[in-house]
Amino acid sequence: MDQLTLITFLPLVGALLVLLTPASQEKALRAIALVTTLVVAVLGVQLYLAFDGSSAALQFLVDKAWFVLPGSAIPVRYKLGVDGLSILMVALTAVMMPTVILSTWGHVHKRVKEFMLWMLVMQTGMLGVFVAHDLVLFYFFWEVSLIPLYFIVGIWGGERRLYATIKFFLYTLAGSLVMLVAVIAIIYQFRTADIPTLCEQASSLALSKQVWLFAAFALAFSIKVPLLPFHTWLADAHTEAPTSGSVVLAGVLLKMGTYGLLRFGIDMFPGAALEHAPLFMALGAIGIVYGAFLAMAQTDVKRLIACSSVSHLGYVVLGMFALTYAGLSGSILQMVNHGISTGLLFLLIGMIYERRHTRALDQFGGIAATMPIFAFFLVFTVLSSAALPGLNGFVGEYLILLGAFQAKPLWAIIAVLGVIFGAVYLLMATRRVLFGPVTHEENKHLEDLNAREVVLMLPLVILAVWIGFQPKPFLDRTQGSLERLVQKIEVARGAQNASLEVPTTEESVR
Amino acid sequence: MNPQDLLQLFDDRALAAVAPLLALAIGIIVLLLSGVIRAFESLRAPIVVATLAFTGWLVASNFATVPGSVIDGTYIADRASSAWGLLFVVATLLAWLFSHRYYAESERPFQVEHDVLMLTTPLGMMLMAGAANLIVFFIGLEVLSIPLYALASFRRSRARSVEAGLKYFLLGAFAAAFFLYGSSLIYAATGSLQLAEIKAIGLHGPLALGGVALVMASLFFKISVFPFHLWVPDVYQGSPTPVTALMATGTKAAAFAFLINTMFMLPKSAALAVAVVALVTMALGNLGALAQTDVKRMLAYSGIAHAGTVLLVVAGTLAGDPESSGALHAALFYMGAYVFTAAGAFGLLALLERDGERFTTLEALKGLAQRRPFVAAALTIFMLSLGGMPLTGGFLGKWMVFSSLVRAGLIWPAVVGALLSVIAFGYYLRVVIALYMQPVSERDAALPSGQTSAGSAAPAAIAAAVCAVLVLVMGTLPGLFLDRLP
Repeated sequence: MDQLTLITFLPLVGALLVLLTPASQEKALRAIALVTTLVVAVLGVQLYLAFDGSSAALQFLVDKAWFVLPGSAIPVRYKLGVDGLSILMVALTAVMMPTVILSTWGHVHKRVKEFMLWMLVMQTGMLGVFVAHDLVLFYFFWEVSLIPLYFIVGIWGGERRLYATIKFFLYTLAGSLVMLVAVIAIIYQFRTADIPTLCEQASSLALSKQVWLFAAFALAFSIKVPLLPFHTWLADAHTEAPTSGSVVLAGVLLKMGTYGLLRFGIDMFPGAALEHAPLFMALGAIGIVYGAFLAMAQTDVKRLIACSSVSHLGYVVLGMFALTYAGLSGSILQMVNHGISTGLLFLLIGMIYERRHTRALDQFGGIAATMPIFAFFLVFTVLSSAALPGLNGFVGEYLILLGAFQAKPLWAIIAVLGVIFGAVYLLMATRRVLFGPVTHEENKHLEDLNAREVVLMLPLVILAVWIGFQPKPFLDRTQGSLERLVQKIEVARGAQNASLEVPTTEESVR
Repeated sequence: MNPQDLLQLFDDRALAAVAPLLALAIGIIVLLLSGVIRAFESLRAPIVVATLAFTGWLVASNFATVPGSVIDGTYIADRASSAWGLLFVVATLLAWLFSHRYYAESERPFQVEHDVLMLTTPLGMMLMAGAANLIVFFIGLEVLSIPLYALASFRRSRARSVEAGLKYFLLGAFAAAFFLYGSSLIYAATGSLQLAEIKAIGLHGPLALGGVALVMASLFFKISVFPFHLWVPDVYQGSPTPVTALMATGTKAAAFAFLINTMFMLPKSAALAVAVVALVTMALGNLGALAQTDVKRMLAYSGIAHAGTVLLVVAGTLAGDPESSGALHAALFYMGAYVFTAAGAFGLLALLERDGERFTTLEALKGLAQRRPFVAAALTIFMLSLGGMPLTGGFLGKWMVFSSLVRAGLIWPAVVGALLSVIAFGYYLRVVIALYMQPVSERDAALPSGQTSAGSAAPAAIAAAVCAVLVLVMGTLPGLFLDRLP
């Protein structure tokens, strides 16, 4: 069996094993899930190491017949592959899952069997989204990956879990179904569902048609990211989800949105992307500041991190739509960084919640004294999230701001303000949790982190430092594909300038 | 016409074309006779199964050999009508399996009559799908409808069931009258009842258009499209659940089969009007379903929404879908998936009713996943397929309907339709929530979980399981079905 099929569907095999194991065997169920995700992680790292970053071509290609649409005889194929745009996402998904599974030891005590089942199914769905290179296949993975999280939030979530899970599902579905019409339209327009072919040919469409298709795709992905006006589902979903659900949601699921914008927004419709880049940069930059203000006003720690997610994903969109090499590479790296830091934050909040059963900021204070190990990890993560030089967040944000400055200095300046606000709310929250006098009796006798909790965070912590000090190997993986993409954007820019005749502002910036 | 000519009409080709109808008729007669003699009572089930299986085999062989247009061009047995025929046989078989031990003791003595009536319906459906003549269609319509009127009120001890039968009968009589009147107007305008001739002559002038309007009204009544959909919730809810399954799948499919054949009657300029009617139907169905707490009634409203969705292909064809058989393919696949999905869902409800869950309310479904994980899982698959999730047959059906619209350039109706199906998930998910995410309501927890007659439910349970598997196969390996479309 080829490598990509194996890595994508191995979790599903694990899910089948879970299904066949009796529900009373909780230890065995957890073990199956952990071992499966560990094997997938090893395969993911192997894939990452074997990947040639200097090439723009699809690698580890699998291409088999699946079915043929009747009448028009358009083949729909089982086509998998990775390129520079997706390799980091695949590796991230593979590496994060063992951590997620290990974290469930602490907070999933009921219906363990179903939980492990949905987690494993979700991993297949997420990996599938990143490796699918047939548009119909992609759409299958895209929509199916909704279902596991729907169950995870709905069964294991908090008080308002039903409201949150329906909101999450319907919001995302509305975007997806509008996208479905665009998917159908583009497939019948070019009589193929092959994504690389479509990416090549779609830029030849008339700009007016491109814009509509782009809008439909971008709507679906913007809701998933979520970009500014669509962000309300995220806070609810994050707050109500169990810790592991939040980690997967922030770590990987939201990246499906940004990845989609990159692959189907920019790569497929470069002309339309150029046309609308100012809008997206504005939404990104405003999202950064707005998310930061939202976060400042929160009293629930988990909601605070959810709002910070909105802010951080604003960077990703800002950098992406700067449409420069620096901005694009920074935004891909920032997707990974956000997964690591926000994932860690949710894990840490989950650990403290397991001990105190509250997430209200004013219930904490002075915990650094009773839980020094916890305090160390929290401070480390907050600094990584606030983009301290030497940690992962810095590299990504720097590249993004550089790229944005090259394209539209105004939005870069606004985004820099966001960096400051980001540091403010993160450090303020940290102070209120960790330092100061112990005001609540319960906080005096908290148990510090145990070995399992430390071990499960270590891979992410190591990655954060590694990316911070040596981002080049990670960035190099994206080089070939990004060079191809930037070249494509330049061609589109040239065509647009030629048609306008009058030199535009983009011209002078360059 | 002398008898010699009449015999000539029934050549080998004609015999092959109507063989499935004859097989059903013979089966019906044998079944009736077996009811007379007590000793043969145990033969009831084998006769029904054998008749349906043999009919299915005959239809399938027609699919391969294609006898074509026979009996003076009044009946057609081509690949399309054979594919529909297969669908009807499957729908009937499923409904019959679900009726197995569904009825209360007091209704049991009439089980043979029940089965005879049920076995008669596919005969009518096949006549409708193969009709190339307005009168042949009308005969099919009546052969289908009259047994259904009786079946709808089969639980005669229940007021609701009787009400359902009466309502269906009265409104059905209106629809039949509409059809006859419309046909006579068309005959007056064109001088023919043959579809092919009507098509060649063309329908012009107010007389012909009036006829078309009446014929369409009657068809819209059968497929339950706005503004002729109001009877559906009451009739679907009141009828015995297996009968509802048959009405929701088979009847609707048969009416659609004929609608696809008579689409040409509608003027091209009606494309947008048809699209609007379809979208309004979807909206009313979905919004109606959203307000329900009884799952059976909810599925009735969802059936209205699905009828609206399939009607969209008619709009697509009228607007100039470049693929000549796009509408047929979409309608066939959509209804094929719908037969397994809806029949499976209604079948599970029948199973629950029978097992003493007493009610088909959402309240009664709460926490079912803990008590009966397989029923819950299958019901979830059906709900997701009804909503059109990928990996289920429902998704590809939806895909084909929307692609017909997109190819014809009706982008906005496609987008509106897509958004309307988001509403649909609002209530399909409510069922999943009840099954998996809510605790058993206290009222139910106190009652013994009525597994009294377990074992005897096996045929129905197996049928539901097969439906669930087929729904998934249609979604994951659609090539098996798509490659065989006519």
